[in-house]
Amino acid sequence: MNLLTLVLFLPLAGFLAALLVPRDRPGLVRGFVLVVSLAVFVLSIGLALPQAPAAQGYWFETNAPWIQSPAIRFHTGLDGLSLWLVLLSTLLTPIGILISWNHIDRRVKEFYAFLLLLEFGLVGVFVALDLFLFYVFWEVSLVPMYFLIGIWGHQRRIYAAVKFFLFTMTGSVLMLAAMLYIYGVTGTFDYPTLLTMLASGRWHVESGEQMLLFLAFFVAFAIKVPLFPLHTWLPDAHVEAPTAGSVMLASVMLKMGTYGLVRFCLPLFPNSARHAAGWIVTLAIIGIIYGALVAMVQPNMKKLVAYSSVSHLGFVVLGVFSFTQAGLDGAVYQMLNHGISTGALFMLVGYLYERRHSLEIADYGGVATPAPWLSTVFLITTLASIGLPTLNNFVGEFLVLQGSAQVNFRWTVFAAIGVILSAVYMLWLYQRVFFGEAGEPVRHHVYDLSRREWAAILPLLVLMVWMGTLTQTFLPAISASNARTLERSNVNVEFQVKARTPLVAGQAGQAEARPAKEPPDAR
Amino acid sequence: MPESYVELYFPVFLQVLIAMAVAGGMIGGSYLLGRKVKNRIKDTPYECGITPTGSARGRFSVKFYLVAMLFILFDIEAVFLYPWAVVYRELKLFAFVEMFIFIVLILCGFFYIWKKGALDWSQQERPPEER
Amino acid sequence: MSQYYTATDHFVLVPAIMLALFGCAILLFDFWVFPEPKQRKWLLAFLALGEAFAGYGLWQQHTYIAGQGIAELTAFQGSLVVDGFSLFFNWMFIAAASIVALMSYRYLEVEGEHHGEYYSLILLAQCGMYFLASGADLITLFVGLELMALCFYIMVGFLRSDKRSNEAAMKYLLLGGFSSGFLAYGFSLLYGLSGSTKLSEIGVAIARRDPADPVLLLAMVTTTVGLLFKISAVPFHMWAPDAYEGAPTTVTAYLSVGSKAASIAFLLRIFLGPLASARAAWEPLLVFAAIASLTVGNLAAISQHNIKRLLAYSSISHAGYMLLGLVAGNETGIKGVAVYVLVYTFTNLGVFLVIVALRREGLVGDNIDDLAGLMHKSPGYALLMLICLLSLAGIPPTAGFIGKYYIFLSLIQAGRYVLAAAAALYVAVAIYYYFRIVRSMFMSDAEDAGAMETTFGVRVAAALTGLGTLGIGIFPEPFLRFAGQSLIR
Repeated sequence: MNLLTLVLFLPLAGFLAALLVPRDRPGLVRGFVLVVSLAVFVLSIGLALPQAPAAQGYWFETNAPWIQSPAIRFHTGLDGLSLWLVLLSTLLTPIGILISWNHIDRRVKEFYAFLLLLEFGLVGVFVALDLFLFYVFWEVSLVPMYFLIGIWGHQRRIYAAVKFFLFTMTGSVLMLAAMLYIYGVTGTFDYPTLLTMLASGRWHVESGEQMLLFLAFFVAFAIKVPLFPLHTWLPDAHVEAPTAGSVMLASVMLKMGTYGLVRFCLPLFPNSARHAAGWIVTLAIIGIIYGALVAMVQPNMKKLVAYSSVSHLGFVVLGVFSFTQAGLDGAVYQMLNHGISTGALFMLVGYLYERRHSLEIADYGGVATPAPWLSTVFLITTLASIGLPTLNNFVGEFLVLQGSAQVNFRWTVFAAIGVILSAVYMLWLYQRVFFGEAGEPVRHHVYDLSRREWAAILPLLVLMVWMGTLTQTFLPAISASNARTLERSNVNVEFQVKARTPLVAGQAGQAEARPAKEPPDAR
Repeated sequence: MPESYVELYFPVFLQVLIAMAVAGGMIGGSYLLGRKVKNRIKDTPYECGITPTGSARGRFSVKFYLVAMLFILFDIEAVFLYPWAVVYRELKLFAFVEMFIFIVLILCGFFYIWKKGALDWSQQERPPEER
Repeated sequence: MSQYYTATDHFVLVPAIMLALFGCAILLFDFWVFPEPKQRKWLLAFLALGEAFAGYGLWQQHTYIAGQGIAELTAFQGSLVVDGFSLFFNWMFIAAASIVALMSYRYLEVEGEHHGEYYSLILLAQCGMYFLASGADLITLFVGLELMALCFYIMVGFLRSDKRSNEAAMKYLLLGGFSSGFLAYGFSLLYGLSGSTKLSEIGVAIARRDPADPVLLLAMVTTTVGLLFKISAVPFHMWAPDAYEGAPTTVTAYLSVGSKAASIAFLLRIFLGPLASARAAWEPLLVFAAIASLTVGNLAAISQHNIKRLLAYSSISHAGYMLLGLVAGNETGIKGVAVYVLVYTFTNLGVFLVIVALRREGLVGDNIDDLAGLMHKSPGYALLMLICLLSLAGIPPTAGFIGKYYIFLSLIQAGRYVLAAAAALYVAVAIYYYFRIVRSMFMSDAEDAGAMETTFGVRVAAALTGLGTLGIGIFPEPFLRFAGQSLIR
């Protein structure tokens, strides 16, 4: 039982204990889950304390047999990639509890219990080093989110919850089939073992077979990310979810998809990943621009933020499939950034909703007058989200653009358009909501941040600045694990990426003339 | 020893043919030779010359069917006693114990229907819920 | 003891004797010793005693086989056999029958049809199942099948004053009799081909024949039809929705797990025993039946409003999954079928138990809307239902996932990727309709605030099914090992 398993199982224990609290003591439940989630967070900080460099292995590894035949092991561990995502999950759970404090009035006990169960699933996804275990946690995290949306959501909650569940499930059963196929060929679900087998050539995958496996994994992750044509569940889910649900969904759950891409798609199927990279990047860039354009015309604040997520996560996918050190670092960094700034945005939109009971932008205006601190915090978050230097998103976007520029400069150009568009819709949103003449309802209902609300948002504000300025706290671990990922994604590659997929039909010839991409440069 | 199925079953086949020929011949012969009179009286059911009365679809008490079914049940169970009697000499004590168990089982069923009132003729008005 | 009835014979037969003995005893004690309605709980105790004795006999067989290190123990000149397979299934039948009996007591009281015969029928049906799981002879198997089916015909129609129950019993009787006819025809042809009713000797005779022999094909097709009827696989599933809907809910539960598991055991004995060498001929039939079952079961379930009917269609689709394990045919596949049946037993009993617990005066509880707001009324049962539905859908960490996982794995190992992908995609469809129930329980508000009235027995049964469903999901190892021992050959 090391620190990591403790962090993993404490929320589960908390979930079970919370279920036992009597139904008529909502205050007790709230206090209890808050204490548990804070304890988990404090423990998880211990994970980030400096560790001996993990060359091939992982920090806090646990490797115990779970099922003997087929060989399924309880194998968990941390590396630079998962470390910060685990911390993000453990940080956002107490925050999610805090922002729901007065907001949730029905079935209080179940709500908080499900939040803890969700935390268990999310942490599990990030630390699982066994494909099967990963799948189990993947599904475990799905169920509480389904209930969070379906029970405590807004009017069309059931539709949204079912859509969310069906989309994700369809992808993940295909992934399960692929996992079983891999097991059938190699006889193991163990991720590190699979990598070793791949590197030593003991597990040889034909290219067609690899492409199918890659696609099965990729579709599951792309639905979760969500990548452009598969994103339709996201706006529904976000709009209908309660605030804490939106925050957890946007900040952490979407990262399960991008994490899966980096953790599994790249190292396990390097050939196919590189072959498909052109198409995937194209989709990512379409997502960046499409998400931004759709966000611009949304009358509903939550929908706007939801579409901005589609756009932001396009950057992450772009970074991942640039196969450069900078691109991958940026992508992982951007995962964390998006978790913090979009999480904060959803929280602030939730604050507004608690006051004015509307998500329509048209119902607001002039909020800055009655609530100056709320406006200030919203402004900082907005600026972070559009990538102002010294705030967090700038670092991630910069690295992604740098990485993509090393491969194909046109990608960078199109992606940069997305950055500009994000400034447009976010600032326009800010202007419409906070400036102008405050209407009667706004003056009457909107008040400034309460202490509880400050407590929830402050850690995120601090992180925005911290991650924007002191990148060295986070980047070295990320870079080290990304370097390993890149190294592995060169294994067994008959390295002839013939033609980059043209972005624009007219430039096809020119694109084909580009030489094969050089191996990733040294960090 | 007959060589093939055809040889083996030829007598049977012949028997079938003759039977069919006799039956067909008798019906056909009477049809050809007989006098045909058609009127209402001829169409009535034949009841030894007496004019039929009442409806043919009279209702019987369900008890008749019950008793008929029970009779068949116990009758068939009794049939098993014949082969038992044949092999009794060979199987000796084993056969006796075996048949004893068998009869105990039948008795179980018998007691059951007895207590359930299936053999009770007299009580016409038993409410269905009473045991 | 004599040469016709040796000590071994007795040893093998003890559980069945106990079941039949206590079945008859309950029948007689019902009016002799405990004639008062209030004394019926003693009948339940008698049933428990019968199960305990049968379980003790089974346990002795178990330890004997394990202690001697032998694969099987045959009795009655090879017409009964005790091996891992029969033990596995018989333990399951004991669990199923006990849980069903526990949840029946209050249900029958509410329905106003509480008669002692019910418990006797449960035991006698289980006695039939015993012969289905351990029979190695066509006649034994057939008699076992009929013993089980006859009890079920009566139990399905147990609500004498309910038209739906009567209709269900009539349909089940007619179609069941029809399928038994098919089966008997197939068996007579098998006997004609081999000159023996012993499965092993039939297997030898069939292996010597040309697999394309028309008589063999006819025998195989008719046998298959009869067996598919019994496990309610498409296209022979028509009886299932009506019988499931009309039967008393507790009987539906027993039918869906006991009868189905016994029929699967029967089917495995036949297909992996005498018909194993004709695999090329029956495999396409089973592939067709499996895919058709998945399709019809899953698609028809979507539009159902009655939970029992919905579960009937879902049970048809589960039959499809079980058949897929047999189609894969490798060790994983057969083990998968065994695990799947075990998991399905606990899970489905849990689902039906919640419906049974819902039943009270003035509420039938078999409509999806009847479950509305269950979360609020009795969260424990809502949670049990949720766990069981997740398990039926095959979502980890519940037991259902382990079952599905083995079936998929076996298909992939056998190189049947298309089947594996189709089976996996139907999981998504299944989730849709299972989650309609979840939606109703958790996301709708209750129409009436009446609390559920449960008894100790129902609560014990609920705990057993819940523990089974979660336990097998989280700690599958001992169950997997147990299922692994159950492989035939």
